[in-house]
Amino acid sequence: MKWAAARDLLALMLVIAAVMPAARGLWLELPSSGPKCVSEELHNHVVVLADYYAFYGENDDLNNTVSPTISVKVSSPYGNDLYDKEKVTHGQFAFTTTEAGSYQACFSVDGDSHGGKTVTVGIEWKTGISAKDWESVAKKEKIEGLELELRKLEDAVQSIHENLNYLINRESEMREVSETTNGRVAWYSIMSLGICIVVSVFQLWYLRRYFQKKKLI
Amino acid sequence: MKFRIGIQMRLSAAVTAVMVILCSFGGAFGIRFVIDREECFSHKVEYGNTVHFSFVVIKSEGSWHYSEDGVDLVVKGPNGEQIHDIRDKTNDKHEFVAYHQGVYRFCFTNKSPYHETLDFDVHAGHFLYHDEHAKDEHFKPLFEHIGKLEEALYNIQFEQHWLEAQTDRQAIVNEKMSRGAIHKALLESAALIVASCLQVYILRRLFERKLGASRV
Repeated sequence: MKWAAARDLLALMLVIAAVMPAARGLWLELPSSGPKCVSEELHNHVVVLADYYAFYGENDDLNNTVSPTISVKVSSPYGNDLYDKEKVTHGQFAFTTTEAGSYQACFSVDGDSHGGKTVTVGIEWKTGISAKDWESVAKKEKIEGLELELRKLEDAVQSIHENLNYLINRESEMREVSETTNGRVAWYSIMSLGICIVVSVFQLWYLRRYFQKKKLI
Repeated sequence: MKFRIGIQMRLSAAVTAVMVILCSFGGAFGIRFVIDREECFSHKVEYGNTVHFSFVVIKSEGSWHYSEDGVDLVVKGPNGEQIHDIRDKTNDKHEFVAYHQGVYRFCFTNKSPYHETLDFDVHAGHFLYHDEHAKDEHFKPLFEHIGKLEEALYNIQFEQHWLEAQTDRQAIVNEKMSRGAIHKALLESAALIVASCLQVYILRRLFERKLGASRV
């Protein structure tokens, strides 16, 4: 039956998706010493879900039995540690942001007995809208298929709208800064000119007094 | 009979739906990092996907530099072939279609002596519709269109991320300019006062020497 084959393929894909969490993510090569940090600017109340997965070499061969261990540290914009783990090969972290700012995740290789092989870490992270747990929403509201897809699109459109509002606010703030700078430049040029004139008048007066005192004039 | 066909229809539609959900997972990854000399990223892309990527130089660490703070980006395919070569740009956005499946490498090179903060975003659209498993002719074109809509929305989100990064860069440039205006004005006034005091002092010394010589 055709749809039994479809079910098998679906199961296989689910298994693959579960086993290779960061296969879809971005891979970066870690230097042999020192941390490598990536960051992202996040707003307040944003859900962040991230998977990371370390392996040797530049391609993730599933035949590799040995995996390197790395240490991971995630910090908030004010320096608090949100996640700190050492000597792990793969893992997951999730948090909800409590302040807007730049959140940083630092990866570093443990030890230096890797025999010159490049250590690559794959990071996959979803923020905000893409981190929403759709299975639980579907189960809670008993929607499926077409309706679920359309709900996802509706959420996506809403997040785009919010982003746009944020950009508009940003732009108006920048415009204010530009206009203040414009005003300041004008005032400070006049101030500079004024100081120049005052100083030269003072010079003239002082020198005249000096020459008169020395009976040269 | 009718009831059984109804269930079959619903089930295959659900299967297709789940496939579509799994497949059109818009993977977009925007990250910021500090680049010293060279930095490389890899991304696994399926066959036939359209890959959109963008980068913006957010700021450069050196405060009094006047040179263009651009970076180079080289995009290489899984077989080593060069797909894109971008030189000396502060921001750019491009797309390409992946004709080979595999790991694509994005390598940035920083030519200026200062550290630069870079915002890089890559978004690969997935187009895996297993049409042979959808038995239902009513739902197939609908899901196809929904897939296209989803793809378009993810593209919009990608472009918004790029715009946001550019706005950040502009905000930093603006603030630098504002601070620079104040510093310039203060320095100029100080320089003028110092210059005129120096003038007065030199003239006094000149005349005192001359007066001293002539009176003696």
